[in-house]
Parts: sequence; C-alpha cells; structure tokens
Amino acid sequence: MERIVQGMGITEVLKIMRKADGYYITNTARDMSQSDYKNRILLHTDLLAAPSREEAGYFSLEITGGASVHVDILRKQVDPFLKLELLREKMPKTMFQTLCRGINLFGYRPYPQNVIRFVVKEFAKYVDVWRVFDFMNHVPNMQAVFEEVQAAGKILEPCICFSTGPEHTNEFYVKKVQAILDVTGEEIVLCIKNHGGLGSPKRIGELVDAILQKYPDMVIHYHGHNTDGNDIGRIVSAAMSGAKIVDASDHAFTGYYGPPPILSVIHTLKEYGREAVGINEAAIMETSEVLQPERKYYEYFESQIKGFDPTVQIHKLPGGAMGSSLEQAAKGGFLDKMPEILHKELPKVQIELGNYWSVTPGSQILWTTAVSNVQGGERYGNCSGDLKNLLLGKYGPFPFYPPPDWIYEKAFGPEWKQVLERDGGMEAIEDIDLEKERKALADKLGSIPTEQQLVTYLQHPNDAVNFFRFEEKFGKVYVLPPSILFRRGGFKLGETIAYKDHTGKEHIVEMGPMQENEDGSETNVYLNIDHHQRHFVFENAVAQAGEAKAAKLSKKEIEDLAKAGDVRAPFTANICEISVQEGQEVKAGEKLVVLEAMKMQTPVNSEVDGVVGKIVAKVGDAVQPGDELIKVTPVA
Amino acid sequence: MKKKILIANRGEIALRIIRAVQELGHIAVAIYETPDKDALHIRTADEAIWIGDGPRCDYLNIDKVIGVAKKVGVDAIHPGYGFLAENPDFAKACESNGIIFIGPPSDVIQALGDKVTARRIMMEAGIPMVPGTDNLSAGDHGLREAIDFADKYGYPVMLKATAGGGGRGIRRVENEKQLRAELPMARAEAKSAFNNDAVFLEKAVINPKHVEVQVIADKDGNTVHLGSRDCSIQRRNQKLVEIAPSLIQDKALVDLICATAVTAAKASHYVNAGTVEFLVDRDWKFYFMEINTRVQVEHTVTEMVTGIDIVRTQIKVALGKKLSFCQEDVHIRGFAVEMRINAEDPQNNFMPEGGKTVSVYRSPGGYGVRLDGFVYQGFTIPKVYDSLLVKMTVFGFSWNETVDRLLRCLNNFVITGPKTTIPYYVNLVQDPDFKKGDFDTSFIETHSHLINYDDQASEGSKLAHLIAEIHYKGENPYAV
Repeated sequence: MERIVQGMGITEVLKIMRKADGYYITNTARDMSQSDYKNRILLHTDLLAAPSREEAGYFSLEITGGASVHVDILRKQVDPFLKLELLREKMPKTMFQTLCRGINLFGYRPYPQNVIRFVVKEFAKYVDVWRVFDFMNHVPNMQAVFEEVQAAGKILEPCICFSTGPEHTNEFYVKKVQAILDVTGEEIVLCIKNHGGLGSPKRIGELVDAILQKYPDMVIHYHGHNTDGNDIGRIVSAAMSGAKIVDASDHAFTGYYGPPPILSVIHTLKEYGREAVGINEAAIMETSEVLQPERKYYEYFESQIKGFDPTVQIHKLPGGAMGSSLEQAAKGGFLDKMPEILHKELPKVQIELGNYWSVTPGSQILWTTAVSNVQGGERYGNCSGDLKNLLLGKYGPFPFYPPPDWIYEKAFGPEWKQVLERDGGMEAIEDIDLEKERKALADKLGSIPTEQQLVTYLQHPNDAVNFFRFEEKFGKVYVLPPSILFRRGGFKLGETIAYKDHTGKEHIVEMGPMQENEDGSETNVYLNIDHHQRHFVFENAVAQAGEAKAAKLSKKEIEDLAKAGDVRAPFTANICEISVQEGQEVKAGEKLVVLEAMKMQTPVNSEVDGVVGKIVAKVGDAVQPGDELIKVTPVA
Repeated sequence: MKKKILIANRGEIALRIIRAVQELGHIAVAIYETPDKDALHIRTADEAIWIGDGPRCDYLNIDKVIGVAKKVGVDAIHPGYGFLAENPDFAKACESNGIIFIGPPSDVIQALGDKVTARRIMMEAGIPMVPGTDNLSAGDHGLREAIDFADKYGYPVMLKATAGGGGRGIRRVENEKQLRAELPMARAEAKSAFNNDAVFLEKAVINPKHVEVQVIADKDGNTVHLGSRDCSIQRRNQKLVEIAPSLIQDKALVDLICATAVTAAKASHYVNAGTVEFLVDRDWKFYFMEINTRVQVEHTVTEMVTGIDIVRTQIKVALGKKLSFCQEDVHIRGFAVEMRINAEDPQNNFMPEGGKTVSVYRSPGGYGVRLDGFVYQGFTIPKVYDSLLVKMTVFGFSWNETVDRLLRCLNNFVITGPKTTIPYYVNLVQDPDFKKGDFDTSFIETHSHLINYDDQASEGSKLAHLIAEIHYKGENPYAV
C-alpha cells in the first residue's frame, strides 16, 4: 500500500486512493492550534515535531490557512511563507494542506478577484492540498480559488460544509456535490467539513454513503471536531462508509474543540478491520513524546472553559471559534451569560437567520448577533455592518429561507424593502490596482517589497506593515521557544537564555537587573548579550493625571451627541478605517469611521449634514464606548 | 643615568610616550587639566601634576608647562602631537630654560612651520613642488597676485594659511569669483586660528594620493628614512586610516620619494623625527607638501613594518645619542594599517560623542594586533578634547592578510556607550576598492555608501531586545 508524497499530481493521488484498501490520515495541526490554543502554537514547536511528523506518513499536514495566516503575523510574528519554507526543508515528502475560505481567503470578508488569484498563486508554491469552503456553500464564491489551485497543478479539495436540522438532508448535500463538480470537473478530493463536530456517527455515515451512492469513485475526506467528545465515532463511521481520508492530530496537544488523537483513530479502526495507509505508528508516538514537554508553555492560550461541550449540537459553534468566543466572553466579563447565549439565544438566531453553516465568517455573525442580542437589551437593536451585509445577500443567497421581515425592519428601518431592492444581492468587488498597492507598500517599507510581502499586505494591510516593522526591530523571533515568547512574569535575575538565530549563530543572554531612572519615567533593562553588556530603555506608562478620563456615557448620550455632530464610539472596538478627511463635506448617513470588534466591521455614519472638523481617532486605535472619534460641524 | 621626562600631552600619545620613557628606565612625568582627572596617563606615569582647570588652555600654556617642568626638575619634555608640539616658541622656551625639547630645534620648527619659508628651502634644494605663490601681499594687491597666479596655472587652486597645518586652514577655490570672496575670509580665519593672517596659493592637485615619509635624524646630521606611508583616506583633510608602506606598485617611484624626503630633511637641517608629506598625482608625479615637525599619530604603522621604536629613538636622539642604525639597516617587511577609532557617530556627520561613558570595552587580540588607546570600561570621555579613543594598528605579511586581519579585529572590537567609527570601518575594509588598494584623497567622498550600516542590526541583539521587553512588561505584548 502506497504512501502519498509531495509532488504527486491529483490524477495519481486519486488513482492510488481509489485502489487503496484502507484510509489515509491528515494531521490537522493548524486546526488543533486554532481550536484549542487560539492559533498560538509556534513554528518553533512545529519545527520540533517536523522530523517525526515527516516519518509518520500522513496524506497531508494541515499547517496553514484558516485564521493562522493572520495570527502568524499578528501574534506570532512569523512570516507565513517563511514558516512553510522552513517546514518544507524538514519535511520534503509530506504534503502541506491549507484551509481557504474561498472568496474570503484567510480573512473575514470578500476580496477582489485579482487579489484572490494573486494570493492563491503565491501560496500554491508551498501548499499542495487546498481545502476550500464557503460558509453559505455558495459555489461561485469558491470558483476563483478553484481555478487558481487547478491551474497551479495542486490538489483541490472543495468542501461541503455540514450542519444539522430539517433542511440539511442528504439530498441537499448530494446536489451541492454536483454543483461543485459542475465547475471543478471530477479530479477533486471532496471534503465533508464538519467544523462543529455536529451530528451523530450514524448521520455522518449516512451522508458519506449517500454521496458514494451517487458518485462511487469520489474520494471523500472527512473533517470533524471533537467538541462533543465523539468525533472518533463519526470518523469511524465515515471511514467504514467509505471515506478515504480522515482528520486527527497529535495526542500531546489534543484538547476539547479541535481534532481527536490520531492514535485513537488508528487503534479503533484497526479493530474494525481498517488499516491506515502509509502510517508509521512509532513516528506518531515519537511526535507526541517530542511535543509533550512543550504543552505547558501554551496553557495560557487554552480554553477558559475546560471540558468537552456536547451542547455544541445545540449552539453549533465551530471548534475553530470556540476558544476565541470563550476568550471574548471572559475578557468582556460575560462568561456567566454563556448558558443563555449558547443554549438559548444562539440557536434561536441560527434559525432566524436561515440555518446556514456556522463557520467563518458566518459563525462570527451569528455569535456577535447573539451576544449583542443578550447584552444590548433589545434583540437586533444594534445590527453590525456584517449582519446587514448578510441580510442584503452580499455573502451569497440564503440556502434554505431568508430571515423574517421583522429582522430586516430592525436592521434597515421601515424602508427596508427599498433598501433591499436598491442594495440587495451580491456585487462584484472591483479589482484593485496591484501596482499601486505595491508602491504604497514600498513607500511604507522604504524598500521594494517581495511578492510574498505584497500578498501578506493585501490581506491585512495594517497588520502586515506592523509585522514587517516588528521584524526589522526584533529580527526573526520564530527561533525563540514558547518558554521565552510566552513567559509570564518576566525572567529571573541571572537567568541565562541560549538560542540560535535565523542565520544559525548561537547566542547567550544573561538577564541583568531592571532599574528605573531617577524620575521614574524610564526603566533600564540590563542584559549580557554574548558576554557584552547592553541595556534597553523602556518608557514607563504614565498614569494620566492631567486629563480626566472621559466619563462613561450612556448609549442614549452617545446617540444624542452624534446627532449634534460629536461622534463617539458606540462600543468597544478597534478603528479599522477613517473614511473621511478633515474639512470634507458629509451628508447624514455617510460613512465616517469603520469599527471592528470581534472580527466584525461596523460603519459609524454621520447623523447630520455638515463639515468634518477634528478627527480624533486614528486607524488601529482601541476605543471604549464614549471615546471621541470625529467632530462634524452641522450645517443649517 | 635616570632622566626625568615630562610629557606635555594627554590621551593615547601621552601613554605611548610614557611607555617609551619607562622602557628606557627614565622617569615619566605627566601633566593634566581637570577634565582629565580620571585619565589613564596620570595613573601610568611615575608622577602626575595638575596644571589647571583647562580645558585646552593649560596644556597650551607655555609658561605653566615650563614652570611645572622646572619645579619638578625635568631633564626633557616630549610634546607629543598637537598642543605645543609644533610651536617654535615652546621649543625655544625649553631651550632657554635648559630643558631638552624632544623634537627639532626651534628654528627648524619655525622655518618649516612657515609654509612659504618651507617652500623656499625646498625649492632651493631642488625638491619638486606644486606651483605656488609667496605670502600674498595685503589688501587688493594680494588679490591681484592671487588672480594672476590662478590665471597662469588654472583653477582649482588651494588657498592655504602659511601657519596652518594638520589639514587645517586649507580651502579649495574653483573660480575667480570664489577667490575674491574667500581670500578675506581665509585671512580672518588664519588670524584667529594661527595668530598669523598670512596666506598663499598653490595649484590644486586633483584627487592625489597622500604619501608621506618618516624621517629621523640625529644631531650629527645622520638622516635616515623609515619608508613611506599612505594617508589618502581622509575626511575633510583629517586622516582616518593610514598604511605603511605606500601601495604604489612602482617600487622605484617610492624609493625616489623616500630619497627626496631625506634630501628635504637635510636641506632644512632637520633633527629628530619628522614626516615629509607629498602629493602624488594621477600621472605619478609627486610634489612636496610640508614637513611635520613632530611624532605623528600614524607613526605606529611605520614601527610595525620596520621594527624600529620611533618614540624611543626620538628620546635617545634628543638626549644626544647617535642613531643606532643606518639606512641599510632599515628593512620594510609586510603591511600595517592603523585605524583611528574615534568616539564619533559616522551616521551623524561624524559628530563627536564626548561626555559618554564607555560601558563595555572589549578589544581584539592575537597575532598582528597593536592597540594604542587610553580608555577603559567605566571611563567617561571628556567632551573638551579630541574624539580619538584608540588606534588599532594591524600588521600582516601581505596586504590581503592585513585586510583579513583588520576585519577580524574590528568584528571583535566592542565598545559601547559612545558611538564609534568601528562599524564604519567594518564597511570600509570590505570595500572592493580598499581591498584592491585603490584609493586617493577622494575615497571617503566617493564611497559615501560606507555610512550605511545598522550597528544594532545583529540578529542576536534584536532578539535580546524582545527578551528585554518581555521581561519589562511581564509578558510578550506582541503575543497576547
């Protein structure tokens, strides 16, 4: 029985798999990191695991995509391309897999076609297997990615997103498969994407069976989550029903919301007479032996609530969003409201909004709407911009039924029908001028960007530039282990830290004392670097004594101020766009600022006709409710 | 017999002289101004005498220095370079007070210090000269002389202060308009800088090589040269890097230049150590420039390639000994390069970094490395003196070996606290033209990219910066 190795084309892979008496395994390390560690598992750790993962004989290692591309630059300060290059050096045989959100790529809202094609082309140089999905299961949303993956000669794995409920029938999904095949042709691996870990083993088995009844040669890849603790049941059922590839990961790091342990899958299926093809069990054990000592450094990023959550069958949050949702609840101080949000409001919102698939970015819309409904006092009283876009059909048509009229009325007012008529439906996003963007980035960097830098910038402009500047200042920090990067409470006096830098040079740092200067405005941190003394100066944060902090304003007060042209932040958010300039004339309803909270964007519009006065807010600022954003001088 | 020798200087050259004095078994007496109270030359000398609060006025005060010398009963004074070294009045004061001045007689200093007199002596001795004028007459008459000269020999011309030296008091003039404008300014500047407003004109030699010859003569007139040096790498007429011997391939030309230097020294009745400076143009013609009547900063490179201790020889000659070697005994072997490691920020127009404390001082060692410095870890560099911290002189059997060694030594040289010229030199010694030995006085100007370096750039210290921040904040603020 043959192992699948990097470099094989789709035709060969399909031929081998169809012939194989057994199943293949994808190690979904990225999904494990995202679901159970808020995407923080470092390249340093993945590099430790690389040699044994290479020997383990997986069909693929899912190591990029999803939210990881963004978190790589935002929180781990590693170049997503360099990461793949370094892993490839240690893993020449294993296919690398990504998870791509179709038109939303690795982000949360649609990108222009030329950006999608450019990004996919660059990543396809490193990524062999492309799992592509759309949260509305709207095939046209995935088409550009399909085409680029196939043009690059890589393995295309379109998804049908799976959920449960009366509408989610085998008949519906089989039709979706046909809709995919209509645009891709037959040379694909088909993924059943069960991001919530929903349904029983029986239900999954039946779905696999129904698809294979219609398409007997289809190579099916079952992807699940272990949120309810029962994904091995679903995997076994899928494999017994004929799925050829299943997802799991290394037991040293398995948690609650990600994949189940690979070895448990292998041992269980063995009892059922199914062999994992190409797999080296000793190498899988070795991987976890290598990883085990690292887990403790990630404790801080593990879920705020420990334990499996069988109620996922009710709230349907995808495993990849569980950790971040619970983190938001903890930080927002509403962890105690979780039973109400998860078990009552969220299921209700799901049904109201059309019972589509709760996965990025649709899951964030459901979640923020449910949270806002519970926290805001009035259901749908404060619709986010993304919810409005969803209602307008900007993400694609509702798969089963549209939300009820009263929600539209809440979102758009009594004239909602006209709004829907005027603004409804998907609109082609205009291509952007890539050369102009390249120049803009060059201006920001002070040097000509690489193609890869441009790709990163096009997806997350502000965060990319911050990352490039970070690298300039701090170097390539992926070389540092989690025991350093995630150290809490500082280091001990005299503690020595040894590391090898990106160029392979060894360094030793000895921690010296930390001293404030005379007036307490700065702190000096003394280090011995390679036996030379150095000190770094940090400015101490000053307690704001002079200016009294803006008193907390009520929602009503914020609205009243807005009507007078004093535009305040309505909720806790980051500023992601300032849409106007000082001195510009604006009409009531015109967009002034775009806020982002919980990955959802919400425009703040002018309440008055007037002229933009002082712009207080800056892109990237974190604002609290009542913070000043912009002044608009109303014209009579 | 034990002699008491006062060193009328500070910094690295004071230490250099103290070493020679002590090696000869004599007693070294240091003097110092208040800003130098923590300086190493005070600690190393056998005696140290405070001469005033300074700065820079007491080291220049002839009466004070002579007064101290007499009070402690010194036999001789070594003036080093700078300060009083080329002041004929100081040499004369020594002579009239019965103190041996370790250098040429005052009348030689006087004659050679006056550029126009020096030109006349050399002209009479048949030394090749750049065409030039006598001291320009005062007022409009002088301007007329200048314009006539420039018209005859062509622009650009160099406008020089007769009493100038060490690269100071020199202006390059491109045309008549500029000449009219600059002449009064040059006079005024010469008056204030050298207390002598005499100026003269020379035809400019475009982008020459600066080649100089170390000579030494005893009181009996035995005059020997110690080979050539190339000091073309200069910034605004201030030498940065000096090399011995000259890298000019034409051996016969170098020999001729050296022989000419000896003729020049003899013509001026030179005694003790001195340097005859020449310009070599692009047609390999050479011209006399001036004689420096002192030990020079860059004497170390000559010592490295000849094995002769110049300062020791200076003292012996001054004390009346004959030269212990003749011209045939002098052999040049290998190459030596001196780099002046200054407390300056090359990226900020070489602004001095005085006032800063040396927090780390780790110097290179091993074969072929010589350091003449005076700073130590914890030393605060006085703001009021020059910025030279240490001269790193590196020797190698071949030019390539020397260049390799330079890079190794610079990479191993760690000075933190003040910014230094080290990172600039790291770029310089890797420059292809430098490695080929292909440079003239325009080198620094035409290689302006050497300024591009990031002295905080090492990956190791960048990462350490993040570690420091994690330590300071108690968590990694970029990862939360």
